[in-house]
Amino acid sequence: MLQRLLRGTPKARRTKWLLAGGGALLAAVLAIVIVGIMRGTAEPPSKGTPKSMRLLTQDQYLNTVAYVFGPNVQPTTRFAALPRIDGLLASGASLAGLTDAQLETYQKTATKVAAQVVNEDSRRYLVPCEPAAADAADAACAKEFLAQVAPLLYRRALPEEQIDKFVAEAGKAADSLHDFYQGLGIVIEGMLISPNVLLVAEVAEPDPDHPGEMRLDSWSLATRLSLFLWNAAPDAELLAAAQSGALQTKKGLAGQVDRMLASPRLETGVRALFDDMFAFEDFTRLTKDNTIYPAFTGETAVDAREQTLRTVVDHLLVQRADYRDLFTTRKTFMSPSLAPIYKVAAQGPGWTPYEFPPDDPHSGLLTQVSFEALHSHPGRSSPTLRGKALREVMLCQTVPRPPANVDFSKVQNPDGSVKTARERIAFHLQNPSCAGCHRIMDPMGLSMEAFDGAGTFRHEENGVAIDTSGNLDGVEFTDIVGLGKALRDNPQVPWCAVRRTFAYGTGTAADSNDRRVLEYLSAEFADQGYVFPDLLRDIALSRAFRKVYEPHVRKTYPLPDLKSAERPQQTASAELPLSGSAAAHP
Amino acid sequence: MNDVNDRHSRSALQRAALGLTALAWLPLALSGSVTAAEPTAKPAAKPAAKPADLKDWAPPGGRIGYVLWDEVSWGLRETPTKEECPNGFNIGPREQFAEEFPKDGKKRTLVETQLKREAAIWDPDTTPDEFPFYEATGKYAIGVNLDGKDTPEDFESDDGRKGIDNQLFRVVGCIRNYRKEGELGIITTKWRAQKPFNRVTFEITGVDSLKNDPDVTVSYYRTLDTLLAGPTGNYLPGGSQRIDERWGKRFIISAKGRIVDGVLETEPFKEILVPEDGMGDPAINIFKSAQLRLKLTPESAEGVLAGYIDVEQWYYAMNTSWATHHAAYGQASAASIYKALRRLADGYPDPKTGQNTAISGALDMRLTQVYVIHPESEQPASGAR
Repeated sequence: MLQRLLRGTPKARRTKWLLAGGGALLAAVLAIVIVGIMRGTAEPPSKGTPKSMRLLTQDQYLNTVAYVFGPNVQPTTRFAALPRIDGLLASGASLAGLTDAQLETYQKTATKVAAQVVNEDSRRYLVPCEPAAADAADAACAKEFLAQVAPLLYRRALPEEQIDKFVAEAGKAADSLHDFYQGLGIVIEGMLISPNVLLVAEVAEPDPDHPGEMRLDSWSLATRLSLFLWNAAPDAELLAAAQSGALQTKKGLAGQVDRMLASPRLETGVRALFDDMFAFEDFTRLTKDNTIYPAFTGETAVDAREQTLRTVVDHLLVQRADYRDLFTTRKTFMSPSLAPIYKVAAQGPGWTPYEFPPDDPHSGLLTQVSFEALHSHPGRSSPTLRGKALREVMLCQTVPRPPANVDFSKVQNPDGSVKTARERIAFHLQNPSCAGCHRIMDPMGLSMEAFDGAGTFRHEENGVAIDTSGNLDGVEFTDIVGLGKALRDNPQVPWCAVRRTFAYGTGTAADSNDRRVLEYLSAEFADQGYVFPDLLRDIALSRAFRKVYEPHVRKTYPLPDLKSAERPQQTASAELPLSGSAAAHP
Repeated sequence: MNDVNDRHSRSALQRAALGLTALAWLPLALSGSVTAAEPTAKPAAKPAAKPADLKDWAPPGGRIGYVLWDEVSWGLRETPTKEECPNGFNIGPREQFAEEFPKDGKKRTLVETQLKREAAIWDPDTTPDEFPFYEATGKYAIGVNLDGKDTPEDFESDDGRKGIDNQLFRVVGCIRNYRKEGELGIITTKWRAQKPFNRVTFEITGVDSLKNDPDVTVSYYRTLDTLLAGPTGNYLPGGSQRIDERWGKRFIISAKGRIVDGVLETEPFKEILVPEDGMGDPAINIFKSAQLRLKLTPESAEGVLAGYIDVEQWYYAMNTSWATHHAAYGQASAASIYKALRRLADGYPDPKTGQNTAISGALDMRLTQVYVIHPESEQPASGAR
């Protein structure tokens, strides 16, 4: 080869060298591309997510209080419900309003927390110093305590003068109430109802590595990470990383994310994520007709929710198993109040691991009471509700709302010869105005008729064998186990998990997310064998997670103030008596 | 419950096929773990498929448990016309006190009156009763032929069984407290259901058919768990009961039995101890040579635990379980009852005195199906599925 290149005239040799060099360059580029493809693509550029302001949820608030003051501080409270946006309450938190009634709840909760923190039992270990006198102010001791807790509640380092203001307020209250600890309590209460605590207002800053782009500042990034992975405000170590700037470095961020993923607090975060994703807040409203389902009690509902969350945590975090296998796994946990619904023995008074045998119809989350009972009516099952939930919760699809003039009399058909749900709702698919939507719900919903409205497996309805065959997006199956397998193999399932998890982590509606980023994360998720903690890591470390942009704020035009609007007739009529009155009563 | 009804209407072929897939295996291991990280229980041995003939349905693994939740009565057969009490009902402690110490102006001390009556309750004797005592009489009674004999003092059951031994019926049959209008039926059932001390469970093993099986084993346990309460005051099948192998060892006993037309009859258990905690002073009733006669379904059992009941223990349990007002309103005079118990006792004579120490009787009861959990057993306990 070399000899061939050296042969010929100088011009010919130069041409040969150029051709050879070009070929080598092309080969090198091709090699890089091939290696790149083999190693996976880099995260595509995206505009990031909108910088948001969101309300701290009840669990985030309570988890934060528990972290700052210890798990013994557990105020009973009930924050206002959040709207569910794009399948997540977490997204709704950025659209929630704040009413007077909510503020009252926050204030009452803050009072309870403060009282528990400074009561005689707790103060000994929660307040790190003893005041010179318990019935008077002690600025030094107050500062030692407040300088420790205030940054944890505010989720950022606070300037010295801010701490001093708190200390001064604590001192004033202590002098007024003749009690040092009550003074501290007043300041704790005040901090807990501060908008800076209750609202997560993300702050953006220019990204020095990408001129022209914005990123979350360190405190906002710390908070976003912590709410995502722990469902609580950042801990002291994460705040320290934010303060030092380490969190804005690749290594520092990875170190903190790995630490958070390795923490036992990850379980709290993952439970919160799936509780939100599966719309389990509906359990608080779930009722069953106990003359029809006598074994389904209030405790059953609580345990059904817990069973699924335990299954998810064990499968995803403990076993680090394939996310998709959640829909086929036979491993779960059993409690005494659930065992009668499953018609199995409870091995103990509390929760015990349980595995259904290979030929059992219980296989995967769809066969758990949490899905079957939650998506049923109080006195009967519902193929439509179940099919709709499967589409919306597990596949992130949207089923249109029913028309306003829908005729329910067909569903409530009193004809005694109609024995099964399949017969009752057959008209759905015959009536063109119904079929459009029901075609995407009923075929899989009917296979779940193998479970009654309480979630108990059954072979028959009204003495007639239940036909559990169906299809999901073209995949045929004959029973509920087949549906679980079809769902497990449906590519929309991991895609949906990625979409929801990213939206949950960034606190923004899924529709705002960049599809290319989600596709990239989905591909990574698949490459990593659908191991969920790896997905969490990928999301937390992605540029899209920390890159933000100013959201488009829709301009609103306030309604006219009717009280002050000038309306000639009203003004005239209103002025008359006033002037008359003024004349009469100078 | 619905499931069982459904099961009854299923065709034979469907049952055979579906039974293979529907019956659950139960975990073997009994780790008390509750955390997500702990290993799962081993799957149980595969239970038998349901036989084609529903009447021959057998519980999975040949095991079925029943927990006692309702004490219907102490073996009382009550008739609407009260024909078993031709002389009426007995009077109670208030009436006896008023009769013994009339308001006749005579001065009496506390020792001569209340304390005397109190002593008669807590230090009873067999001297003739100062008051007439009306025993229940008649041809029929609830119970079991315990001694295999048919003697004049024995009864006949409604289904024609002769030689029914139930002398306790004679004692309590005409005392209001023990009848339907009394408090026993309500309160002892409440105590039985609510107090963990009172939890007892029978388990039948080796069951090939719940309809007819000539050879089964019945075991009796004290168990640990709460009952599965239903919405209408009843208790539901499908709960689980762990055997108390620590403090309940002395309760554990087994006997052979047979099931004929859905009715279980056992050989005599040597002794069945029935815990009885009413008012916080626990007692144990002792049934000697005890026999069970229970009508079985996959969901429940009802019938009697019959035997020779230790008189002193039964009397002690009565006095400690029932408060004074129960006895007063229920017209149950302890002193008179004791004398009747001793007078009518018909079993287990004291070797020294020759006096009988036990009285034949029956506890009429209802039980509901449970899964019996054997803590250290390799075989899982199970019930109807």
